[in-house]
Amino acid sequence: MTPRWIATGLSQDLPKAVAMAGHWQGQDLAVWRSATGRVQAWNDRCPHRGMRLSHGFVRGETLACIYHGWVYGADGVCKHIPAHPALTPPATIRVAAFACVEQDGVIWVAPADTVGAPVALRGLQPLRSISLTCDVAAVLAVEPALSGGDALRGLVQIGGQACEVCLLVQHNAAGLTLHALCAVGVDRIAASRWVEDLRRRAERKGAA
Amino acid sequence: MIRLYDYVLSASCYKIRLMAALLGVKLDQEAVDFHPGRAHKSVAFAQLNPAGTLPVLVDGDLILTESTAMLVYLAQLAGRDWLGPLDPKSAAQVQHWLAFSGRLAASLGMARLHDMLLYEGDIDAWRAQGHAALRELEAALSERRFAGGVWLVGDAPSIADIACFPNVALSQDGGVSLDAYPSVRLWTRAIRALDRFVEMPGIHRLHELRPAPEVA
Amino acid sequence: MIAPEVLNEWYPVAMAAHIRAGQRRVTQLLGQPITVALQGGAIVVTGQGGALHVTEAFGHVWACPGTPAHPLFPIPEALETGRRLVDVGVVRVKCSPLRAVENFLDIAHFPFVHTDVLGAEPHTEVNRYEVQIREDSDEVWATKVTFYQPQAAKSAEGGIVTQYMYRVPAPTAAVLYKTCPVRPDAWDVIGIFVQPLSEDLCDVWPWMALYDDTTPQADLIAFQQMIFLQDRSILENQIPRLLPLDPGMEIPTQADLTSIAYRRWLKKRGLTYGAQMVAA
Ligand SMILES: [Fe+2]
Repeated sequence: MTPRWIATGLSQDLPKAVAMAGHWQGQDLAVWRSATGRVQAWNDRCPHRGMRLSHGFVRGETLACIYHGWVYGADGVCKHIPAHPALTPPATIRVAAFACVEQDGVIWVAPADTVGAPVALRGLQPLRSISLTCDVAAVLAVEPALSGGDALRGLVQIGGQACEVCLLVQHNAAGLTLHALCAVGVDRIAASRWVEDLRRRAERKGAA
Repeated sequence: MIRLYDYVLSASCYKIRLMAALLGVKLDQEAVDFHPGRAHKSVAFAQLNPAGTLPVLVDGDLILTESTAMLVYLAQLAGRDWLGPLDPKSAAQVQHWLAFSGRLAASLGMARLHDMLLYEGDIDAWRAQGHAALRELEAALSERRFAGGVWLVGDAPSIADIACFPNVALSQDGGVSLDAYPSVRLWTRAIRALDRFVEMPGIHRLHELRPAPEVA
Repeated sequence: MIAPEVLNEWYPVAMAAHIRAGQRRVTQLLGQPITVALQGGAIVVTGQGGALHVTEAFGHVWACPGTPAHPLFPIPEALETGRRLVDVGVVRVKCSPLRAVENFLDIAHFPFVHTDVLGAEPHTEVNRYEVQIREDSDEVWATKVTFYQPQAAKSAEGGIVTQYMYRVPAPTAAVLYKTCPVRPDAWDVIGIFVQPLSEDLCDVWPWMALYDDTTPQADLIAFQQMIFLQDRSILENQIPRLLPLDPGMEIPTQADLTSIAYRRWLKKRGLTYGAQMVAA
């Protein structure tokens, strides 16, 4: 299977100087935004003692591991080891970086050597990321207006009006996560309630 | 001084320690050997709290054994800023979240006691109920964000936030991850970044709030 | 199939006082169900194949599922008069028992995990210390360890440079000796006894033998539980859950000399239950 872009979160859920967990096809990632706003996605494992870097802390343009405070800068290179403040860490200590771009309010990840860009989503605003315990088939079964595989799109009824939505699919061990976007100008509270309702119906269908 | 009968690993006791710290109120903390000693189930302790639960807050002849009541008491004493807005709708919403915090304790809290201190019970049910509660919290906090809000009720943090925070922030101790709840995560972060915030084991320091030390 | 080297070691399985008070503990050891109970005044540990070898020491019940390769290690300080022995109680952790021990041997994490208690920035430097495998006892020892600590113990007032010695006398047990704030001529002794339920799940029993006549017991227990529970959220988030013994899998520095020696010692002795031998 060729490497491809997968949505792992929405920009609005990753403010400056914050790290969070993400994943690409079962590969756990630490996704973080620096103080100046740059988003990066790395293997979610500190090379020192295997601690998840998504639990770490962002200072300036660096991400540090919560266990021993090892500091990693751009492209995952270790810059500082607090137990040895005078030491310049060997360049071999580095965390593997994934390709990561932010586009249309969505954070996309792909293997480092990926070329090209994720699909553009014009006229849509980010809504919410929600997790479901069912599969895509159950979602499509309860909402026939939607179609697609990696991105479920269609015109659905929200608050009595036809509204364009796009649900970006991310598979995970427990089911799937949908990163939902809706047409610009649609009331997001109403759209959020529609997403909740869709999840309830799809999970009921999936369990049947 | 107000006395708190306390256990360091209890999420409910932490609620009170956190509220007091945020209010700048000093408590006289008396550690109770909850685990392994089960001192809260002793005959002597029943004199103070027949239900045998922690925390217990004592101020003169007042004895409180419900943590949400303690939050109300401390917030009332300290000038009412943390009680939330007093209009009917907001006041009812604060009560909603105080009651909801009981559901968090009965689900996420029990999952944590199971995984950490070997409490017996239906762990799958506790985790499922915990996820159900987190979904409700996530939906509510997402709607608050769409309206430009950060806190559960009103424009400032309140006892509603403090009541719900501990069991949510400690959910991973019981095998319940917050990965699927971005609005909940950002809300816990906002609480952790408050001035005078104090941690408990399982909630680490936000080291990013302080600059890196100068490298010699 | 579990190696005889693993089966012939001693493992903590219960707090002795609880069993003596009549409680039964239905638990697991090396993946097998066991029961710890009082029978005719004696503590008995029963597995699927019958009774296990049992000994009682340092407030805990220890069992050996095979044929004991040696008696349980001693902690001579536990017998000194004037010391208070504190059973801290059990805490379950979803990690390899070996990861739990290794974390206990680590000082470099103090400023980040036990912030403002056992360490604080900018005092992050780990000075060189000495590590050896003692041939007479076949134990891992780290000596001349020093670290700046804001609140080294419940009885400490203000920051001090604390001296440490670490000792690994059994694959899933470790003991540390640290500066006693109220008696500079003596060491406080703190142990961690780890019961391997399976390769990636363990019950951990912190234990202490302190010179401290004033601090209430509940405060001493609370202090040590606070420290260990700060570690728990780290231990449950290390990848992989097993301890890698392949040197290419994780990158140690000079501050990790104790951990390096512990991993080598485990490998040399074939004590690889809870370890990952090759990179996955
Ligand atoms: Fe630690």
